[in-house]
Amino acid sequence: MPEDPVHIALFEEDRIDHAAEALDRLRALGIRDKDMSVLSGVPYSDKILGRPMAWTRVPIIALAGAGVGFAASLALILIANRQYPLVVGGFPYVAIPTIIPVTFELTMLGLLISTFLGVFVEMISPTYGPKAYHPKISDGYIGIVFTCPPKLDQPMHAALTELGAELVHQSEVQP
Amino acid sequence: MAAEVKPYQRVYKQSEAEEEDPRQHLMLDPRPREEMNHMVMEAMTTTSRRYWIIVGALAVAVAVLLFGAWGNMIFTGMGMAGIRRPVFWGVFIVTFVFWIGISHAGTFVSAILRVFKAEFRRPFTRAAELMTTFGLAAGALYPLIHLGRVWVFYWMIPYPNSRWLWPNFRSALVWDFLAITTYLLSSTIYLYLPLIPDVAMARDRSTGWRHTLYKLLALGFRGTEAEWTRIRKAINIFAFAIIPVMFSVHTIVSWDFASTKVVGWQSTIFGPYFIIGAILSGVSAVITILFVLRYTLKNMDYFIREEHFDALGLLVLIFSMAWAYFFYNEYLLHWYGGGTVLKQLLTLHASGPSAWVWYLMLACNVAVPWLTLWNKKLRRTPWAIFIVSILINVGMYAERYTIIPLTLGHQRFPFDWGEYTPRLTEISIALGTLCLFVLLYLLASRLIPLIPVWEVQEGQESHRLRKVGKTQVPSVSELE
Repeated sequence: MPEDPVHIALFEEDRIDHAAEALDRLRALGIRDKDMSVLSGVPYSDKILGRPMAWTRVPIIALAGAGVGFAASLALILIANRQYPLVVGGFPYVAIPTIIPVTFELTMLGLLISTFLGVFVEMISPTYGPKAYHPKISDGYIGIVFTCPPKLDQPMHAALTELGAELVHQSEVQP
Repeated sequence: MAAEVKPYQRVYKQSEAEEEDPRQHLMLDPRPREEMNHMVMEAMTTTSRRYWIIVGALAVAVAVLLFGAWGNMIFTGMGMAGIRRPVFWGVFIVTFVFWIGISHAGTFVSAILRVFKAEFRRPFTRAAELMTTFGLAAGALYPLIHLGRVWVFYWMIPYPNSRWLWPNFRSALVWDFLAITTYLLSSTIYLYLPLIPDVAMARDRSTGWRHTLYKLLALGFRGTEAEWTRIRKAINIFAFAIIPVMFSVHTIVSWDFASTKVVGWQSTIFGPYFIIGAILSGVSAVITILFVLRYTLKNMDYFIREEHFDALGLLVLIFSMAWAYFFYNEYLLHWYGGGTVLKQLLTLHASGPSAWVWYLMLACNVAVPWLTLWNKKLRRTPWAIFIVSILINVGMYAERYTIIPLTLGHQRFPFDWGEYTPRLTEISIALGTLCLFVLLYLLASRLIPLIPVWEVQEGQESHRLRKVGKTQVPSVSELE
């Protein structure tokens, strides 16, 4: 069965209210939230557009990275200091005050690098939902990307043009 | 006797005349996003013949002054530098501390002001973050230069080896290596994350090699809700996490000194004293850079305005006062409680042959900002605050010079006292890193959008004028 065509409805940057209204009208036509996606040149909260909350694994990946950094620092200090014992000024091989800077730096390094890796992996991973793009998005336009069965073309068109949307049909433009 | 009543109407008119035009604030003077994009792209892609001449001259300067002098020193030996008994830490370490200090600008402006939602930060966060990355890149060369036998630098890296060598993790010098590496990596990523939406904008407006580069850097960014969520989340994690890293970096740099037995260095307040000094020099350097950007890049006068110099000038004044507080605290308690050697050291700083450095430090870090920056008109005069910012960094360099070679030259044994004179090689390398910093900045200014356009637009969308009583006041709403 062929997939429904992808459309983009573009709204000028000062017409955020119209974009939110357009989302409601598309829902009223029977288009589900998972078949819609909002593109924008600036971030808007989910509440502004009345969209389901977008979530990300980045914080969890960051915490895991912090844990790895902490473990690596302990391994460097505790295990390696026994393998390569180095006596300086009569200090013990391992002393808590001198461990703290090393564990702190490596924990933060793990946290920050894994945060970036989390963003990187999520950005390049395949995504579900309609995929399309229009360069006007980075000019501040708000775009609603959605799939729409051909039978709903006419009411969808009427609803969106009434709200001042500029429609790009069957868009396959990718960045 | 009848009391004289001042007519209310007159007072009202006077205050009305004094009311400032709200459009002088960037956040209240919005332009269409398309126009702002065009302005930033034009600033980035327009290069003149003069630009390439300056880039070429700087590249030659870096090759000769930095790498030429350094190569010659490696070939000839460390004797070419002026560091010898009793002063083994000279201009190399002074300049190292200076650059690490400058690098605090980006984190302070971008992370701390972001956390506290200081709206004036928006147009120049990237300019400050670039300073952090390039300042660290310049500073990170100095441990290698100072090492002398640079070809064995990898002995600092912990890995099992046949030499049975392992870094001493109880040493502040190893902590320094770890802290600078952490800070360099994290500040580079922190520069990159908010850049993604802007390189996506540049990708949509460029062709050829630029398009290929921006397409690669944009990671397929389209501006979906999920993409914004993860970028915002990551920026927030960074903004909170990079602040303690920034504090740790300069604290550990101060421990390089404070954990030794050198008279004048052993101090429990060296950590915060160094951090305040670093932020003072970093914020001053941001003013310097903003002035240069405003007058050399196209369309920058729209984004970088007098209000930004005003706000940064106030910050510099506050940090100058904080720096004076720490300096006085340190000086007074050493003077009261220190031993004979310490008192002699302080006397030599203030009246010895190099006393001019000490007075230059106080004049530039205290007298100049205190006498000038209280004045709003002066803070809003770009060329005037530019000169003040340069003088403060001269003062901060003098501070590091006083702390390092001037202190090392007068220790416990008078027979071992000595004067340190920087040699041509050291001066050449120090100037070379300055040229490297400017060169990297010039190249970056034509490669990446220096203004975070999406952050500016976000700020402009969240600012509105609201009528309260007889006047209109700016109000900010949360759109996140």
